[in-house]
Amino acid sequence: MVSQDLQRYLGLFVSESTDKLQKLGQGLVRLEAAGRGEEPLAPIVDEMFRHAHSVKGMSASMELEGIKEIAHRAEGLLDHFRKTGDALDPASVDLLLAAVDAMTGMVERSGAGENPAAPAELLSRLDAGVARIHGGAAPAPPRPETPAPHRPTPAAEQVPLGLRRRYTIEVEVAGTCPVPAVRGFLVLKKLSALGAVLEATPAAEDLRAGRIPDRRVKALLESGEPPAAVEKALSQISDIATVQVKEEVHHPTPPPAVAATAQPREPEVGGRTVRVRVELLDSFLDAVGELILATARIREVGKSIPEAVRPALDEGVDRLQSAVKDLHDKVMTARMTPLALLTDRLPRVARDLARRVGKQVEVEVEGAEIEIDRAILDELADPLTHLVRNAVDHGLEPSHLRELSGKPATGRLSVSARRERDRVILDVVDDGRGMDPEALRQAAVARGAISAAAAAALSDRDALQLACLPGVSTADRVTDISGRGVGMDAVKRVVEAVGGALELVSVRGHGTRVSLRLPLTVAVQPVLLVRVGEEVLGLPIAKVHGAAQADTGALERSRGEPMLPYDGGLVPVRELSALLGLPRDAGSGPRQVVVADGDGARVGLAVDALLGQEEAVLKPLGRPLDLVSGLSAVTVLGNGRPVFILDVPRLGP
Amino acid sequence: MTGVDPVRHVLFRAGGERFALPLDSVREVVIPQSPFARVPRAGAAVRGAMNLRGRVVAVVDLAALVGVGSETLQAGRGQVVILDRDRRSLGLLVAQVFGVGPLRPDREEPPGSMVRGIGQIDGGAITLLDPDAVAAHSAAQFGQG
Repeated sequence: MVSQDLQRYLGLFVSESTDKLQKLGQGLVRLEAAGRGEEPLAPIVDEMFRHAHSVKGMSASMELEGIKEIAHRAEGLLDHFRKTGDALDPASVDLLLAAVDAMTGMVERSGAGENPAAPAELLSRLDAGVARIHGGAAPAPPRPETPAPHRPTPAAEQVPLGLRRRYTIEVEVAGTCPVPAVRGFLVLKKLSALGAVLEATPAAEDLRAGRIPDRRVKALLESGEPPAAVEKALSQISDIATVQVKEEVHHPTPPPAVAATAQPREPEVGGRTVRVRVELLDSFLDAVGELILATARIREVGKSIPEAVRPALDEGVDRLQSAVKDLHDKVMTARMTPLALLTDRLPRVARDLARRVGKQVEVEVEGAEIEIDRAILDELADPLTHLVRNAVDHGLEPSHLRELSGKPATGRLSVSARRERDRVILDVVDDGRGMDPEALRQAAVARGAISAAAAAALSDRDALQLACLPGVSTADRVTDISGRGVGMDAVKRVVEAVGGALELVSVRGHGTRVSLRLPLTVAVQPVLLVRVGEEVLGLPIAKVHGAAQADTGALERSRGEPMLPYDGGLVPVRELSALLGLPRDAGSGPRQVVVADGDGARVGLAVDALLGQEEAVLKPLGRPLDLVSGLSAVTVLGNGRPVFILDVPRLGP
Repeated sequence: MTGVDPVRHVLFRAGGERFALPLDSVREVVIPQSPFARVPRAGAAVRGAMNLRGRVVAVVDLAALVGVGSETLQAGRGQVVILDRDRRSLGLLVAQVFGVGPLRPDREEPPGSMVRGIGQIDGGAITLLDPDAVAAHSAAQFGQG
């Protein structure tokens, strides 16, 4: 158990050390790139050494001995390579990976109040590793000359007077932070490392006593640092909702003549930045969404007022609409996030898995700087991990088989992104064994997903897309990694739910490419609105082939289902009301039938009325609505009515 | 009497009884926003999905969920208690919220049950609900068959 005194700093410790450990892990992967001469080695090792050292220091001050013991040895190991400049040998990389994994788990447990002991086996392996590289005795890691993180240097000694700047700073601690006063205190501490804190509300003593009204700290700082440095320092503190840094226009001490000899100020590139909590950003989007709806509603009401007064109202609504659209665009821009957030961890995922299954893989990431809406990014995390795992587990062959077929022993996996107009194309490509269209045909028929005749009629290219049907997999063994046949269909569903498309291309013996075509921002998608009883439901237009009117009672039946002649073929017609368990209009006249892409084949959905097409902002379903099968998303109409978007393949028979 | 300190609760009526949820499990209380969309293949306690400032929230009738009758969904009647944190897409339809107050259970129930205990307020009984169990029981009303 972590002692009571330290308990309040635990959250900070967990977030900071997790961050350091993650960077340490990324360093290990970057070492491989350095091994290929793509990046200089020394700075990476140096950085890793400092991360290990920080973790050691932080865990020691939290009295977490177990973590400290491992960090201490990892630091010792890295110090050797830092000093010699040698490349890390694979055994040391493995040891460090194991140490990072163990510490990550222990940090997590310490967050739950435990004080986990270091696994003895790992400690002795690390000791042996250190001893081995030193060719004998294991020396203690040296006192490193790392820069102390909170060097309390009075700015007056560092900065010429003429360059001093005054800033008013206001920081709001996130509402989710359990100990806001501690964060507030950290803010003051960070600021005093940059310069002199002339005023602070609340004062440091109040913060230390836990008093922080409105979760806000205001301070007046005199410092020689540029605004960007002040903001950067504050941005390193976690659980901060907003930061405002304003430079006072008038310098209290006019620059004396020495200013001429002083260094020119760095030109400020770009605008100032502030940190904003993601939730706040989400709430902006919600608020803008509400504005769009309210505008649409005013326009609708306007249609019922007398002609004479309408032009004035219409003009007002037009202006409101363009202002709201402008605001929407700005909020969307603020939500753009680089893909790196997702792709940074992929090399590690691939490498870990490759080691577990005894394969070798080299991972290349390109275009990680491309930005995409945060909501889409969040949705993509699992699918992308799945694609990478799939490629390593099923795509790439073991080294000996690769060599037999004349390929390099190490498999290549590339994740690359590029912009194409208003889309981002994300390709996951491996140079493995490729997929077998014939095996997929057989698997799909065996699963009952399509008939043997339909399977035979598919081109090879179309047959590959069968891998995206629920339950279809060609993996000859089911591992805990992938190959349960629950993968590709889930990937495809998520990609389509955010308004994207998935395409599979594979050449036997040469590899597979999965392309995700993604919208840049939360999709506005055309949907077909249909009515069943009193309910309105939406179908993505991309899934709809057409519509027909039919007297379903008079149609020929096959296995009990009415078959609609459509486009030269026959399509089974199902009552949407029955599939959804909703009431429908009474009566038995002709029905409107929407023909859509179903589970590998077309299906006709009988509805009470077609209401037309509409551009809809699709939103993912929150819990518990996401548990309802057959629904992929939800949208809200101009009159405020929520409308579910159907996931046709999952509507069930 | 247990030794625990009283916790601030949101107090409300549903199905003719009084209930309470811990204040920190509740995000906000709103009036039902019609029109509701019916949720396909949902359980009997599910009243539908409503639009709350552009977000779509599933609404479950608390009285029906707990098994003490049910609320009728009518314009201008009832309130929806929106849960907090990762349960912001779930709202509980109740007859009326009547306040916030400190409560301590007089009698504790086994975990897993939606009822955490019975408390006293103004000399009468009030049922203290467990937000985790209420959310779990609500989720079981969705995606059936």
